[in-house]
Amino acid sequence: MDSVNRFGPELILLAMAAVIILADIGWALAGTGAERMRRPALGALALTGTAASIIWSALLIAFDEQGEAFSGMIRVDDFALFFNFLFAGTAAIVILASIDFLRRNRFVAEYYALILASTAGMMLLASTIDLIAIFVALELTGISLYILVAFMKDGRSSEAGLKYLLLGAISSAVALYGMAYLFGITGSTSLDEIGLVVSEANGETRSALVLAMVFLIAGFGFKMAIVPFQMWVPDVYEGAPTPVTAFLSVGSKAAGFAVVMRIFLTALGDGSISSDWATVFAILAAISMSLGNITALVQGNIKRMLGYSSIAQAGTFLIGLAVVAAADPQLLLGTSAVLFFLGTYAFTNLGAFIAVIAISSKIGSDQIADYAGVAKRSPLLALGLTICLLSLTGIPPTAGFIAKVYVFNAAVQADLVWLAIVGVLNSVVAAYYYLRVVLNMYTAEPASEESIQPGYYLGLAMVVAVVGLLVIGIFPSPLLEASEAAARVFG
Amino acid sequence: MLSDWGHVGFLLLLALVFPVGGIASSWMLGLLKIRPQAPDPIKEDIFECGVETEGTAWVQFNFRYYYYALLFVIFDVEAVFLYPWAVSLDEASVTGFIAVVTFIVILTIGLAYAWRKKALEWL
Repeated sequence: MDSVNRFGPELILLAMAAVIILADIGWALAGTGAERMRRPALGALALTGTAASIIWSALLIAFDEQGEAFSGMIRVDDFALFFNFLFAGTAAIVILASIDFLRRNRFVAEYYALILASTAGMMLLASTIDLIAIFVALELTGISLYILVAFMKDGRSSEAGLKYLLLGAISSAVALYGMAYLFGITGSTSLDEIGLVVSEANGETRSALVLAMVFLIAGFGFKMAIVPFQMWVPDVYEGAPTPVTAFLSVGSKAAGFAVVMRIFLTALGDGSISSDWATVFAILAAISMSLGNITALVQGNIKRMLGYSSIAQAGTFLIGLAVVAAADPQLLLGTSAVLFFLGTYAFTNLGAFIAVIAISSKIGSDQIADYAGVAKRSPLLALGLTICLLSLTGIPPTAGFIAKVYVFNAAVQADLVWLAIVGVLNSVVAAYYYLRVVLNMYTAEPASEESIQPGYYLGLAMVVAVVGLLVIGIFPSPLLEASEAAARVFG
Repeated sequence: MLSDWGHVGFLLLLALVFPVGGIASSWMLGLLKIRPQAPDPIKEDIFECGVETEGTAWVQFNFRYYYYALLFVIFDVEAVFLYPWAVSLDEASVTGFIAVVTFIVILTIGLAYAWRKKALEWL
């Protein structure tokens, strides 16, 4: 029973996904009379699922019910619980932001069920400690997202879905190849046991371990959307329905970082090999930040711009991973910096995408040029988007400022001053394209005077995101303590 | 170890020699004018169990077959999972039973969904 109890936050999401599908069948049998209630009821069920998952995670903490489940497949610790909250919260905000968008779509039940299944997969990615379970969780997350990306069934959405499916399948295969190497070298699929063998590895096995490490970075680099595994990002972000893009840019990316931290810190955390992957991550961080920001400069479409910006942000997270192994005492600082950054980034990017959903659905365009004068048509939306973009830039008093200071501080502490300098220079470049949107909204003349009113649910989601990132910016200590506690798992 | 795999290697060799040898010897005999050369449209036709071939192999299948393929794979996999469980029912005990029932319930929801979406009807 302990197993089921600790698996609860994921289980309740999967159960609710099944309930939503069954409820939809029930509605079809009930006939057209009850049709009016179908969409609101299904949305309410999905939100209830995420809320129940959050409450269950909170109860696990309250009753100190942490530990392993399913004979060492899953480990529910502070790290896993941190991500349980992050993913369930993200899913809740995305569901809120989807209600208006789904008004004209037939497949409401499928949409919510897939979001919940994908969220459960992400949670599992953060809590599994066995290679086979990790791969199952990876596919549960991935396959749900492939369908969601192609959900609009029009040309652009289908193209995005197909690209995401093909590249995702290849990256899964590469990650699996890396796992096979790890298993072949160590003879175990349990991360703990792999870690034991790796710490005793001699020169010969080390070269094979480096190969496994490279495959794993390539496979999970796709999920994290870091250069050079970022090819899919702009096209998929542009073609996917915007709520799904928001979910991809926050949930899927955070899941990638969660599983990479879990594998690399548990299985490959030994000093002799960790210095190797820390160097790889440091270089990838510098390239991701620079390439993401420079390409974002020339984007005319706001979803593509946010896509490239998310590549650059992923580069900044990677600084935290590079710090982890550069010096052993910094382990805690680097990991908690990544976790804190992921927490703030969730609020920030969700807020930015929700504003894009609200504005673009009214003006019928994703072009930055068409955002001219939005501040006159909807002052509150423009203000919300501005706050999110300022947070992405890293300007106080937003959460993004604290997160960047935290990460750069970690880099300096670990003698990676050059990486911190690259990061700061990139922030300056990023400021240009983030603030260009703000400038365009406030100073340019609007094409029409008609005001833009977001729907009730969309407005609520926006308020949650913006208030969240301002609160973290002003009182960072609760999230800081949570991420430090989560990082201590690997201490 | 090597001798175990040696059998596989031997089989592989035989599998290569058999067709390659047949084609090569026929070609050699033709070259030496021992094999008669009398082409005939029926002889040169594709051999399909004695049935006369009709059209090319590049035909369009009905798109709906994919539903059946999908459902077939799912229930095929179910059978594959149920067999070892049924054989080792004694050892698997209650935990195994609960796991299998959970699995079947999930599949049943899938089947109900497929039925509701009219995937089981030939329109």
